[in-house]
Amino acid sequence: MQHELAHLGNGAHAFATQMLGSVDDAADAVHDALTTALQRPEAWDASKGTLKTWFMRVVRNRCIDMIRLRKPSADEVDELVDSALGPEESLLIEQRDRALQVALARLEDAQRQIIVLSDYVGLSYREIAKVLDVPAGTVMSRLHRARLALKKEFIADDE
Amino acid sequence: MMNEMEQHVGEMLSGYIDGELTQQQRQRVEQHCQQCAECGETLEELKLLKQRVAAGKLSIFGEDKWREDMNNPSVQTPRSVGWIMFIAGILVAGAVGLYVFISDPSMPVWTKLMLVAIYGGLAVLLYSVLRQRLLEQKTDKYKDVEI
Repeated sequence: MQHELAHLGNGAHAFATQMLGSVDDAADAVHDALTTALQRPEAWDASKGTLKTWFMRVVRNRCIDMIRLRKPSADEVDELVDSALGPEESLLIEQRDRALQVALARLEDAQRQIIVLSDYVGLSYREIAKVLDVPAGTVMSRLHRARLALKKEFIADDE
Repeated sequence: MMNEMEQHVGEMLSGYIDGELTQQQRQRVEQHCQQCAECGETLEELKLLKQRVAAGKLSIFGEDKWREDMNNPSVQTPRSVGWIMFIAGILVAGAVGLYVFISDPSMPVWTKLMLVAIYGGLAVLLYSVLRQRLLEQKTDKYKDVEI
């Protein structure tokens, strides 16, 4: 289980970063989720879904808790862009990846999350529906709209 | 009025690149994209977009960071162990206290009986409330609803 969780860590961190807009807060959320997973492994019911799906739900719930605890900010998206362009991150993330982060940051929260879950974490539509708690039949249309929005952001950047 | 093949396939383009369509739907997308330059171009762009996100580095950490996190003893120790130790400690301390209390010759018997009645009553009340809470939690049909 630990090996699989370590493998899921980066995807979970990317997902949490999209939800929280902060690399450090996202790391805390993943750390808390790992703690939950290791301390209460019986909470994962294999008959209800894969470890990946369950773990992403734990991460999402932890992010929601963290968002509730902190003061809402109208500049959240700007903060995400700024953090993506911060000096520390810029040393670690290449130009192409920063462009991707900036484009993602300009999308709505739900659009960012669904793109990361699908294309970065690699979840199926059914798994995405479970993680985001949305009807399975709506995932394709939500994801398609999100991708078109991301494509538009890239085109806007190129211009 | 447009026939089915002439209608744009829209969101099915995403379903196509994600492998989430039925065989019939896949054929429809393929045939439509052969005829419709707009949808064909969008399909290629979305494929590249998906590849770009998949290959992107959206987390600054590596797997080692999460392995180290999990090797932390505070993360690994099951919470149940903490509860077992806590309850065992309380029970041992209670048993020792009770023994000392009963065997104390300096306190009159009626005082002992009165204290046993007070603390015993409190214990019964606490047990009753906890039991009720547990039963409510087990039978609550909304307990799995996540906010």
